[in-house]
Amino acid sequence: MSFFSNTATNAATTNASQTAEKDVEVADPPTDSISSLSFSSQADYLAVGSWDNSVRIYEVGAGGQTQGKAMYQHQGPVLDVCWNKDGTKIFSGGADNAGRMFDVTTGQASQVAQHDAPIRVVAWVDAPQSGILATGSWDKTIKYWDLRTPSPVATVQLPERCYTFDVQYPLMVVGTAERHIQIFNLTNPNTAYKTIQSPLKWQTRVVSCFTSSANSGFAVGSVEGRVAIQYVEEKDASNNFSFKCHRRDSVPNAKDQALVFAVNDISFHPVHGTFSTCGSDGTIHFWDKDARTRLKTFDAATGPISTSAFNRNGSIFAYAVSYDWSKGHSGMTPGHPNKLMLHACKDEEVRKRARK
Amino acid sequence: MAKKKNKQIIRPWCWYCEREFEDEKVLMQHQKAKHFKCGMCPRRLNTAGGLAVHIQQVHKLEPENLPRIENALPGRDGYEVEIFGMVGIPAPDVADYKRRKEIELGLSAGSISQPPPKRAKIENRPLSESELKAQLEAHKALMGNSQGAESSAAASTSDASIGAVYGAAPQAYATPPPPMSGGPPPPGFFGAPPPGFPSGGPPPFPPPFMAGFPPGPPPPGFPMPPGFLPGGPAPPFPPAGALPQFPPPPFIPGASATPPIPPLPPRGLPPPQFIPAQQQPTPTSTPQPPVAPPPVGPLAPSAGGPLPSAGGPTSSESQGLTTEVRPADPRQGASQLIHPPRQLTLPNPALAQVNPEFKKPTILKWLDPNFSPEEQRSIHPTYFNFVAISSSEESKGKSLKRARAEDFL
Repeated sequence: MSFFSNTATNAATTNASQTAEKDVEVADPPTDSISSLSFSSQADYLAVGSWDNSVRIYEVGAGGQTQGKAMYQHQGPVLDVCWNKDGTKIFSGGADNAGRMFDVTTGQASQVAQHDAPIRVVAWVDAPQSGILATGSWDKTIKYWDLRTPSPVATVQLPERCYTFDVQYPLMVVGTAERHIQIFNLTNPNTAYKTIQSPLKWQTRVVSCFTSSANSGFAVGSVEGRVAIQYVEEKDASNNFSFKCHRRDSVPNAKDQALVFAVNDISFHPVHGTFSTCGSDGTIHFWDKDARTRLKTFDAATGPISTSAFNRNGSIFAYAVSYDWSKGHSGMTPGHPNKLMLHACKDEEVRKRARK
Repeated sequence: MAKKKNKQIIRPWCWYCEREFEDEKVLMQHQKAKHFKCGMCPRRLNTAGGLAVHIQQVHKLEPENLPRIENALPGRDGYEVEIFGMVGIPAPDVADYKRRKEIELGLSAGSISQPPPKRAKIENRPLSESELKAQLEAHKALMGNSQGAESSAAASTSDASIGAVYGAAPQAYATPPPPMSGGPPPPGFFGAPPPGFPSGGPPPFPPPFMAGFPPGPPPPGFPMPPGFLPGGPAPPFPPAGALPQFPPPPFIPGASATPPIPPLPPRGLPPPQFIPAQQQPTPTSTPQPPVAPPPVGPLAPSAGGPLPSAGGPTSSESQGLTTEVRPADPRQGASQLIHPPRQLTLPNPALAQVNPEFKKPTILKWLDPNFSPEEQRSIHPTYFNFVAISSSEESKGKSLKRARAEDFL
């Protein structure tokens, strides 16, 4: 099942060792695990949600140096953050069941959404008429908010708890517990366009929509070190495939790849349409879904990579080395790394390869 | 004499079989013949990678079926390490080999593995200011250049505006965020702090300056407190009554111009981002009342409080207030107001998932098929406390408790 050939490994590892020391660590990261990252679509501002209940906003300078710019609080751990289209507002959802909005121009935070259970995901839907905030929660609903009224403009009942969704207007893909995947066409946001069972047989961890792709589709990552590439339309179904990743040998050089880690996040490059996966094993890979090759492997970090994000033009790749609860509470040791890293993407790392 | 000999004692050796050779040429011949020989044809390759590619392309073997490297020590028969003569041997292996060599030759530890003292020629004196500056400049130039090169590369391929945005965008932003933020965000020690701000941390900052930043209660004498306070990030939930609905200000900045304006003055202050270290540790530390626990009292009611006053038209929050039990919510039950639930419960146990069998021995790191790591984490006491404080039930629980306390009185 190795769709991605291993031949790139040698080159990639040498790459990694050269770039590892060049990745820039963000000063003053959150005090607890980082749950989510989001870059503004207008400038190199990075919003960071954390289990310490806060959302921090950093400005990323030309050399990768960062400066904290603002911070606001939830009353529970923050599970996801996003920006609106024009980069003036930040939205976040947290375990306090609240969705909050931070206005970058006034520096004020306010509650804009409410669920019956923690809000796991938030996304800005850049609909043509007016932008809408979508929030997905473990209360098995997705709610859409137009931010002018305290009630949602629409509520969608999901088959199970919402674990993840991603929006690439007009496509929205939702991944829930029990491996349901619902595909929405946001021109009709209230009913699912399609409901499928995840192509992967283990718990869905993340879904992420293709960027700059002729045919719309999405990638699904599961707790069982595997990613599936899935197209929305039946006609492209022949291009669907899945591949293994984020595995490690049980003993060095055993070649059994028996340790299987969760895929924590998938981020698509906004320009090239290639993507990154990061996992509990502390590694990050860049992939090209069309050539089905691995473009780059990062040196394994000292802890799990909990989340990742590309900036608006894909020149910066941010990732968090942070505890992801993959070993439960016992894994949360006091000295566990909690770092926010910035990687300057080289063109050859993220550009598509010619198809073999 | 002895030292000279030591240097020669480490002769070129083969990483795969740990044999020693007269010189590297012989070593390479050995590797070609013994380790990089293709088993399926007479061809000899120069490196393991070359051999791997050869086998895959010429003999069409899947990468995972590659034969091990021949004649290699256990653990060194893989293709990951690219060895060419002595080049490419992993550093730990080199050190290990030297150490064993020392023992074998009966030399004192470190005689081979440690670099000769001569080499350690690091100047141990403090750098002068000018030198420091020069180094900083060099570093800046380095960082700037690499970034410039990269962004220009990116610009050529995709987005021509990058360069401009890199320079310009921050300004567009700069106006509001820094002063407002109250944001604790702190010194960027990376790269170079703005000149004049030695990385020393707190000392250089005169107290009023420090105080101006955090959203906390401004100390007396601080210029802008009155206006700033309301404008700060904290009061998303003004005390009950102030918001019959979700607060309007953010939506119509013009209309709500009052609070946002005052914050402007601090813009004149030098880099406000610099917050002394002791204030970074966020919420619980002292100086940040509006965001930190203290507000819990006022905030908690406001989370639930204003909503009912709004007629509770919308959110489930209000339902929570009227209904006794919400069994649908696994995290909170009426009986568990204070103690976090020990376990997550499935909404529908009949639909519980089971992980499928693995075809080969596998250790799956996340074994729970029914709950995600985040769900488990969010009910852990470390985190649930926060939820408990904020959740409407909790505030209700508190009011109940209070009522009871009054009864006692």
